[in-house]
Amino acid sequence: MKIRVLLFALEFYRAALPGYHYEFPRDHFNHPEFQTEWWYYTGNLRDTQGRRFGFELTFFRQGVDRGKEPAAMWDVRDVWLAHLALSDIDGGKFLHTERLNRSGPGLAGSSLAQARVWNGNWNVQWDLRTNTQQMQAIDPRFSFKLNLRALKPPVIHGLNGVSQKAEGLGRASHYVSFTRLETRGTVVLDGRTFMVEGLSWMDHEFFTHQLDAAQSGWDWFSLQFDDGTELMLFRLRRKNGTADPYSAGTYIDARGQTTRLARDTFSVTPGKLWNQYPVDWIVRVPSLGIEVELTTRLPQQEFESKQNRYWEGAVEIGGSRRGAGYLEMTGYAAPVPSIIKK
Amino acid sequence: MALLRFNHVSKLYSGAPALDDVSLDVERGQFVVLVGRSGCGKSTLLNVAGAMDFPTSGEVVLDGVVTSSLSETALTLLRRGTVGFVFQSFQLLPSLSVLENVELPLLLARRPRASETALDRLRQVEMEDYGARMPYQLSGGQMQRVAIARALVHSPALLLADEPTGNLDSTTGDVILKLLQNIARKQQTTILMATHSVEAAEIADVVVRLRDGRVQEVLEPASGP
Amino acid sequence: MAYQKIFYRLILRPLWRERLRSALMVATVALGVAVVLAIELAGEAAAGSFRSSVETLAGSGDFEVTATGGVPAEVLARLVLLPHAFKLRPRIEDYAVIAASNRVVPFLGVDMLADAGANPGNSGADEFQRGGSIWVGKDAGWKPGSRVRLTVNDGSADYTVRGVIEGAGEAIITDLAPAARLLGRGSNLDRILIDVPPSRPADQWESILRAALPDGMTLAPRGARTEENRRMLAAFRWNLRVLSYIALLVGAFLIYNTISVSVVRRREEIGVLRALGATRLSVLGAFLSEAACLGLAGGIAGVALGRVMATACLRLVAATVDSLYVSSTPAPIALTWAVAVAGIAIGVLVSVVSALPPALEASRVVPVEAMARGRRDHDVHMHRWRDLALGAALAVAAGLASRQPPVAGKPLFGYLAVLLLIGGAVLATPALVSVLSRATATAAGRIFGVEAMLASRSLAGSLRRTAVLVGALSTAIAMLSAVGIMVGSFRQTVLLWMEDRLRADLYLRPAGPAGADRHPTLAPGTAARLQRIPEVAAVDQFRAYEISYNGLPATLGGSDARIAGRYGQRPFLSGARPADVFAQLPGRDHVIVSEPFANKHGVKRGDTLELPLGGRRIHFRVIEIYGDYSNERGYIIMDRGTLLKYLPDPSPSNVAVYLRPGANLEQGRRAVENALAGRKVMVFTNRSLRKEAIRIFDRTFAITYALEAVAVFVAIMGVAGALLALVIDRRREFGLLRFLGASTGQIRRIILFEAGLLGLLAEIAGVALGYLLSLLLIYVINRQSFGWTIEFHWPVTVLLSALSIVYAATVLAALYPSQVATQLVPIEVIHED
Repeated sequence: MKIRVLLFALEFYRAALPGYHYEFPRDHFNHPEFQTEWWYYTGNLRDTQGRRFGFELTFFRQGVDRGKEPAAMWDVRDVWLAHLALSDIDGGKFLHTERLNRSGPGLAGSSLAQARVWNGNWNVQWDLRTNTQQMQAIDPRFSFKLNLRALKPPVIHGLNGVSQKAEGLGRASHYVSFTRLETRGTVVLDGRTFMVEGLSWMDHEFFTHQLDAAQSGWDWFSLQFDDGTELMLFRLRRKNGTADPYSAGTYIDARGQTTRLARDTFSVTPGKLWNQYPVDWIVRVPSLGIEVELTTRLPQQEFESKQNRYWEGAVEIGGSRRGAGYLEMTGYAAPVPSIIKK
Repeated sequence: MALLRFNHVSKLYSGAPALDDVSLDVERGQFVVLVGRSGCGKSTLLNVAGAMDFPTSGEVVLDGVVTSSLSETALTLLRRGTVGFVFQSFQLLPSLSVLENVELPLLLARRPRASETALDRLRQVEMEDYGARMPYQLSGGQMQRVAIARALVHSPALLLADEPTGNLDSTTGDVILKLLQNIARKQQTTILMATHSVEAAEIADVVVRLRDGRVQEVLEPASGP
Repeated sequence: MAYQKIFYRLILRPLWRERLRSALMVATVALGVAVVLAIELAGEAAAGSFRSSVETLAGSGDFEVTATGGVPAEVLARLVLLPHAFKLRPRIEDYAVIAASNRVVPFLGVDMLADAGANPGNSGADEFQRGGSIWVGKDAGWKPGSRVRLTVNDGSADYTVRGVIEGAGEAIITDLAPAARLLGRGSNLDRILIDVPPSRPADQWESILRAALPDGMTLAPRGARTEENRRMLAAFRWNLRVLSYIALLVGAFLIYNTISVSVVRRREEIGVLRALGATRLSVLGAFLSEAACLGLAGGIAGVALGRVMATACLRLVAATVDSLYVSSTPAPIALTWAVAVAGIAIGVLVSVVSALPPALEASRVVPVEAMARGRRDHDVHMHRWRDLALGAALAVAAGLASRQPPVAGKPLFGYLAVLLLIGGAVLATPALVSVLSRATATAAGRIFGVEAMLASRSLAGSLRRTAVLVGALSTAIAMLSAVGIMVGSFRQTVLLWMEDRLRADLYLRPAGPAGADRHPTLAPGTAARLQRIPEVAAVDQFRAYEISYNGLPATLGGSDARIAGRYGQRPFLSGARPADVFAQLPGRDHVIVSEPFANKHGVKRGDTLELPLGGRRIHFRVIEIYGDYSNERGYIIMDRGTLLKYLPDPSPSNVAVYLRPGANLEQGRRAVENALAGRKVMVFTNRSLRKEAIRIFDRTFAITYALEAVAVFVAIMGVAGALLALVIDRRREFGLLRFLGASTGQIRRIILFEAGLLGLLAEIAGVALGYLLSLLLIYVINRQSFGWTIEFHWPVTVLLSALSIVYAATVLAALYPSQVATQLVPIEVIHED
């Protein structure tokens, strides 16, 4: 059954297989031959007075139809979903919203030619020469305009171009990150404009059916340490409560050199709960001498989407290294939607 | 045989007797005057005589027929042929001219030569010059003359007059009485007249005094025929 | 003397004693109020709350973008990128016909994907993509899972209801993609609704949006279309409203009459009361209170009756709105307290105002006045020539008023002329009645006997009341004949116009009821397929688009000018030959416009129209104005080639097929039907199309006739009541006639003759007045409010039958009063004093 579904999907879509040859900037943009793709931006910002903000802007693409006939204007070949959130950490507010669109005449998309990823007027415009990105997101309650400059080259996670997520060929994604994006710009909230700066993180993944049915969710960590290093970890949880062996991570040192971290080289320990979510964690990577505590000042950073519920929020890092990061927890309050997992 | 005979006639109005066992004969050509106080039954007697009303008991025989036995059609024919009415308040139709008022009974009866006959009757009451006038242009005496002409236009055998001088001053009233007397004489028309007037009683052939619906006395003054 | 006592003696006692008469008066007021209320409620429901029915689900957004021939999808793409928190809702809007009921319902394509993001539980991006899925408004009455057969344009298919949507009325809703495919919209939208945030004023947002839109797009505040519809319907509603006041006017006459009669009748009593110390004011008050009481009772009954009548009216009004103006889903009838109170107030007000003159007269009665009735009638005799002169003056004023231009698009002076004419006619009525009844009395007596003579004399005799009665009835008859003549002339004009306009042998359009603003299309290949039929000589394709011109809806059309020129015969309004005019259309930005369009927008030959087409603003020269009666919105017609150049959608809305000379019509028709087998196309022969058109015409004017009928009914009821009063009033006269040898049959005949004479006089006066009023309706009011050229025709049959019915009804109305008269006991009435 599982195999049949996969085979059916693979009639129309490509799976993420080892040996993928990355080519940038092409691979920063759209891969319609894969069913699912996302561009994930998170970041920790501070205004000139020290007021702290976190933000999330995510563009999802889900292929729903790959018919042979040419698409008419309004036909839905891909569903474009976008999530937008602003964490007003010192104001104690978490604002989030989402939107769904079809490609249509250009309502949403990702285009190398235009060097752009967008969903309506939430968009990221790249300047391919300088490798900077202009980000814009507008909601009736808030908006921000940020300029993102990569301080390190893109990181390709996993082995041989694939980040394996479950047992089996193709149960994996192509996963690329900008782990240190210097960020400056403005945040408008409640009619006030804040000049902000800070660091952002961008993940880009494309794949076809990466998880398997026994996996119930994941905990994902993107940590930016003050010493110029970064750590990405994900722990896949199985329905029986154990950690999946395909949990993994990547360590990026100050010069951009990466180290792949297998399941047995790190541990993540949940702490205090907010609703079902463990919002405090202890992360250990003994080989790197890392033992840090993650805490958040804003426990209510739960994104309640029409399709899904997950926790995605800014965290502070203390312990052996200091810094800030983002924490994502899925599959606690609601099952992971079928678009990720089939 | 008498033109009009009351045979033990009683008339009750909502239980109270208006006429109480009246028996009376009126011969052809007689001028009969009914006297009595208001409400003594004079008007009722006239209505019953003219077949406009019918006795509760007893019978009225007019021109040989018992009035209460007649159909509505026959009664209409009887009124058209045999009876003429004169009223205290003249009762001219205001929208008709004098001549038209007089013609009216003939027209209703569909008799020929109505206007000639009507003119003739107006001449009799000396109103021939007023034929084109409207009633409101006439004095009371003139109106009553016209009313008399109308009552006589179809040459009825019986003329019923209810206080014909009641709305007139005494001089005019006398003229009207004279007129009625002449008519009775010349045309052999039987007249039954209700009145308060003492003068009227003097010119009558017969004076019938009514009291509480009963015939109290019947007098035949010396001047009778 | 205490007012209450006067009121009791003068008013309450008589009211109770003459219950029937009182009831008739209450009914008169009630009907008048009911008609006004019903038209108001129905008009509001059909047009007022309305919104074209495609406004369903449009919500209360701030702006909308539309364009002739559709808004290109790229415009939406441009708008979504603007850096403002707009909420954009693209829509495809059309109509579908429910096969089972033949009802037309809005068919909407909305962005169900974006909506799924906004509405919880509406997920499943693939569900609405599946072919044959529809969502329906709650009012449609289907449940999820129902199968529904719909005809959209000329195709028919089965659909499955996937869900029911609150607040969507009867609409059928799908996603943009299937809607666009089904309707052949390509990538165009019909409308983009825009909600703006409150952070800036509306005019700032408007200029921001305008700057972002390409040429040819129309940006309007939301509700502009409803506003346009309202404006377009304003004249229609106005005229309907005015018509509805006729019944009230007739009712006012009758109240005036009834109160006059009761004043005349109670003169002595008033005199006695005055002698006993009643003041003038209390007498005036007593009679006005009587009117107010009757008005109040009538008003309350009228509101109840009006609510009931509104339902019936709504159907008629909605049909008219739909066929002449705009596809509408009538709102429910809403009887608010304010409307109900206004209705009752109208009843009271009309009664009191109508009673004012007789009540004033009553208050002028001097104590112990025992004046004979004849005297008072005499006064009227003396005044009737003065009144006649006054009436003539009013007629002259009416003539002057009829020459004035409209005021704010409304023929106010036209209506004034109508009122002046009616007033003039009413003033002339006493003279007419007196002269005619006197003149005919002798002749009538000779022909019909003494009863006729008495009848006509008594009419002339009690001129005061008969004149008012004749006035009321003749006003109703006049309006009936005026509207009858107008509609009849219009109908004849339309028939003649169709004779000329419809020269093709067969006409094709997509199946389903027609509507003025719906232009479903036939498949693009239709014409080519028809041309291959041997019997067919020529095929003219007509394509229509809804546009907005100067803030009013209009229809833009493209027709094959060469064919139209070849077959058209009747000269244009200017006298130009069709062949010459049509030769100037192809290949040029030239148009011809219909007469209603020209009148509405003040367009003359040689003028230039600027139309936004296909993303550009194009200037068209108006080379001719043509007569058109198919709808009131107005047409702009260009050559099909020109239209296709700017709006390249080849699907025709209608197709006219000309057969070869000598070809058999039936064969041709069958061949056409065979060629289009499987498509939902209606094929009309020339004759059946005309029949259909005239059926729609008649349906359109049904409400007009219904209103007239009510007015006439009120008048006849008034005649019955007035005759009854007349009988009671003249009972002594009838008693006297019995004394003088009249049979009951003769009494009955007198009254019937009176009614007959009254009816005759009213009809003579009514038709004469009606003729004049019809001229005002045709040449002033219709012209100024609708702009149609109507040729005058006497609708002899209709008029004669209507008048006969009215006449018969008038005489029948006298049956009961005549029965009452025969039952009077002569000795009672003659001695009663």
